[in-house]
Amino acid sequence: MKYFLSIVAVLLISSNLCAATLEEKVVEHTMKNGMKLLMVERHTSPTVSAWIRFKVGSVDERSDERGIAHLLEHMLFKGTTTLGTNDYASEKPILDAIEATALELTAEKAKREKGSAEKLASLEKRLSSLEADAAKYVIKDEFFELYSKNGGVGYNAFTSRDGTTYLISLPSNKLELWAAIESDRLQNAVLREFYTERAVVMEERRRSYDANPESKLWETFVASSFLTHSYGQPTIGWMSDIENLTRTKAEQFFHNYYAPNNAIVGIVGDIDTKKAIELVERYFGGIKPGKDVPPVTAVEPEQMGERRIELLAESEPTLIIGFHKPAIATPDDYVFDVINMILGSGRTSRFYKKLVIEQQVASDIGAFDAPGSRYPGLFVVSANPRAPHTVKEVEDAVQTELELLKTTPVAERDLQRILNKIEYEEARRMGTNGGLARNLTEYEATTGSWRYMTENRDKIAGVTPADIMRVAKKYFTRENRTVGFITKKGGDK
Amino acid sequence: MRLLLSSVCFFLFLLVSLATAAEPLSNPRSMKFPELTFKIPQAERVLLDCGMPVYLLRDTELPIINMTAMVRTGSVYETAEKAGLSSMVGSVMRSGGAGGMSPEDMDDELEFMASAVESSIGSDMGTVSLTTLKKNFNRTLQIFSDVLLRPDFSEKRIEVFRRQMIEYLRRQNDDPKEIAERELDRTIYAGHPLGDIETFQSVNSIKRSELIDFHNRFYRLDNMLLAVSGDFDKTTLLRELNERFKAGKKQPALITPEIAQPKQEFSSEVIYGKKDVNQTVIRMGHLGLTKDSPDIYAIRILDYILGGSFTSRLTTEIRTNQGLAYSVSSRFDIGRRFTGRFIAETETKAESTSRTINLMKNIITDLTINEVTDAELNAAREYMINSFMFGFTSPSSIVSQRARLEYYGYPVDYLDKYRDNIARVTKAEVLAAAKKHLRPDAFKLVVIGDKAKFDKPLETVGKVRELDLKLDIPKQ
Repeated sequence: MKYFLSIVAVLLISSNLCAATLEEKVVEHTMKNGMKLLMVERHTSPTVSAWIRFKVGSVDERSDERGIAHLLEHMLFKGTTTLGTNDYASEKPILDAIEATALELTAEKAKREKGSAEKLASLEKRLSSLEADAAKYVIKDEFFELYSKNGGVGYNAFTSRDGTTYLISLPSNKLELWAAIESDRLQNAVLREFYTERAVVMEERRRSYDANPESKLWETFVASSFLTHSYGQPTIGWMSDIENLTRTKAEQFFHNYYAPNNAIVGIVGDIDTKKAIELVERYFGGIKPGKDVPPVTAVEPEQMGERRIELLAESEPTLIIGFHKPAIATPDDYVFDVINMILGSGRTSRFYKKLVIEQQVASDIGAFDAPGSRYPGLFVVSANPRAPHTVKEVEDAVQTELELLKTTPVAERDLQRILNKIEYEEARRMGTNGGLARNLTEYEATTGSWRYMTENRDKIAGVTPADIMRVAKKYFTRENRTVGFITKKGGDK
Repeated sequence: MRLLLSSVCFFLFLLVSLATAAEPLSNPRSMKFPELTFKIPQAERVLLDCGMPVYLLRDTELPIINMTAMVRTGSVYETAEKAGLSSMVGSVMRSGGAGGMSPEDMDDELEFMASAVESSIGSDMGTVSLTTLKKNFNRTLQIFSDVLLRPDFSEKRIEVFRRQMIEYLRRQNDDPKEIAERELDRTIYAGHPLGDIETFQSVNSIKRSELIDFHNRFYRLDNMLLAVSGDFDKTTLLRELNERFKAGKKQPALITPEIAQPKQEFSSEVIYGKKDVNQTVIRMGHLGLTKDSPDIYAIRILDYILGGSFTSRLTTEIRTNQGLAYSVSSRFDIGRRFTGRFIAETETKAESTSRTINLMKNIITDLTINEVTDAELNAAREYMINSFMFGFTSPSSIVSQRARLEYYGYPVDYLDKYRDNIARVTKAEVLAAAKKHLRPDAFKLVVIGDKAKFDKPLETVGKVRELDLKLDIPKQ
């Protein structure tokens, strides 16, 4: 009976807790070396998600290292001086010889037709023989193996323009495994099997861009939108960029930027935050801080005229329209958030209602921000024309909706719907460990504080119909616009 | 006394901090962890007054309620001439208005509440789902029940959806991966409803009356179950559900036609489609097994070892060792109702196409000849047993899973025994299952790319049937 009572008490307490808002749930801790920890206790299941976000992405690459942030992300799965190897002391000299050979080979290849075929062949032969020697010391994907046998799921990483993130979910009693592996990776990573992985990334590029017309258009469209700023370059790199990446460059990038002061850790799940802080301090506390990632100084000049990009492809027509817009958490960006939802979110959005249901000129349409948010980016509309309607007809119909925003105030009910949606999203996003860890680390990295998640609701509530008209007039102009489209190869015209 | 107490505290503090400072960093290879006992969360099963089973799991963490209805229907019940009928029913149930409410009003009201009701029909199940803030549950439930039981199938919205399907068909050969996946299914399931695909003719021939008939046949209170999770009060919820799902006047007996299993025919085939790309899409496979096979646990283990993990044989050799692909994998999708498939898939640059096809086949064949190693078996078992809890991380996934198990007729103790059944699998059983269920000599192989650039003529693999990727689009 006593047992029964105590269960009731626990239930009451936990049901009180759940009313807690995100502000009340997030525990922050900044370590001496600058590493930032964001934690939320959730005891729904005995699991925990741990995300590490590094505030460095492809936007931070120099022109001779395009693609390195992403390739390095792949390489950081290859182990350390103690994991992924059965004898690092014997392995190291071979790795050094591989790099010396590969540097020579890359330099020779860069000469293109002026290079010596003979020298290339001999270097290639030497490289593959050294790689075979090195393979004897490799324990394949040991990080993955360790996490997996301990029940880890979703072990992965992703690189964007703005940052690089490493993630895993584990049974909650195994958080120490994460701390041990990740702190080791941060200090002692060994980029073994580099040149095979470079070939993998080339296949990734073919798969994601070269062989997919819509992605190919997207890549070309973004590149054409930015002449100066590195947001224009594809995160994966152009093929010739990848061909010229070396382990030396990757190590340089790693040592420059992968420091605790550039890292944000999100841990969400069945944890005790005090113990989690102790654990992270114990494993990461001794790591020395490094340099901060310097800001990108390039500023995209005003566009001064429409840019039109055509891609001929074995594919039905598709359309992308972009307008330059300010970075995240700036006053006009909140207005764009509202515009985005009015035009592109859900079945009641203007684009969907007008272009898909009423006029039926498009089979589908969406609006989003890209390619990053730390720096000024693009407001993008993407649509598939529905035959026999053309790219031009869809473009005109989109333009009509944009013009309407400039001239006619948005109804109160439309604004209220957006606030209602945000209320729901605020509740929902607390419902998964991974989703919450993702949002906390993402917004901490891009806006400087995870509190952006809660504060932007007030900012959005403050957006008026007049703001929307002002912003639409300012940004939705011909000279600020880039249009990309696919024309079917051998098509009707 | 006070002094004593505080010095005790101090001493304790010292002890704790010493312990912390002295605690060495552990080696990930030999790390020990505190015990964690995981008990499978249960959902409650109740029957509504009308007899419909409902799975319930209350969870007050978020002020949200989620609900799903699972309806015994599917695309297998449509004929080849009407392929697309069930997708149209599933979609227009939601988009075409319901219970006398116009599509526009429904969209507006739902989105104003930030609620969602969605409907779709897959190959062997129809679902209608709801998600809402709890304060809007009552009204959202009303719309949900209208969509589920009283859709209006607006003529205009039927046309919108039909035209979207036609546009989708026009675009069906744009993406090489999509072509390969479609053609593999068509050949594996040739002669079975699962192998039928939508055509311009079939989509154009579907009439509103057929949508209504299809809906009436299957969307009945005696042909579905519900799963509800979130922040509800059980008594109120059951009262509301009973109100919404009242047994009406007596209906004719439910007739669900028997759909036969796909024919177990194994013969190899090489199918090629020409696309002007620098990377070849490769898909291969054949029929697999159903959940009723005693081999499913051995097959799960085999899957992990062969192509279901980052350290699988396919990934290790083709990606990690040889750098031939970004993504390479294989899996048996175990059929819950109809025989599933075995599929192996990758993409590689045109110049390494043949090499990669051969590597894949050899790696798969090897599993049918030699036992897996102890290390492989252990790694697979440990992963599956230790990660089991991730199937139960949200209340909505827990109730849906329970309802699905009943829907497909799994044994009641399936989940309880799952980990033991995995733990019991031996190397000999994995080999026996591989011999029985893997037939590399009878693979249907689909290759999409530019064969002029391949390292060896595709004909060296077998007689090639070339796809005609030019669509015969009817004039509009």
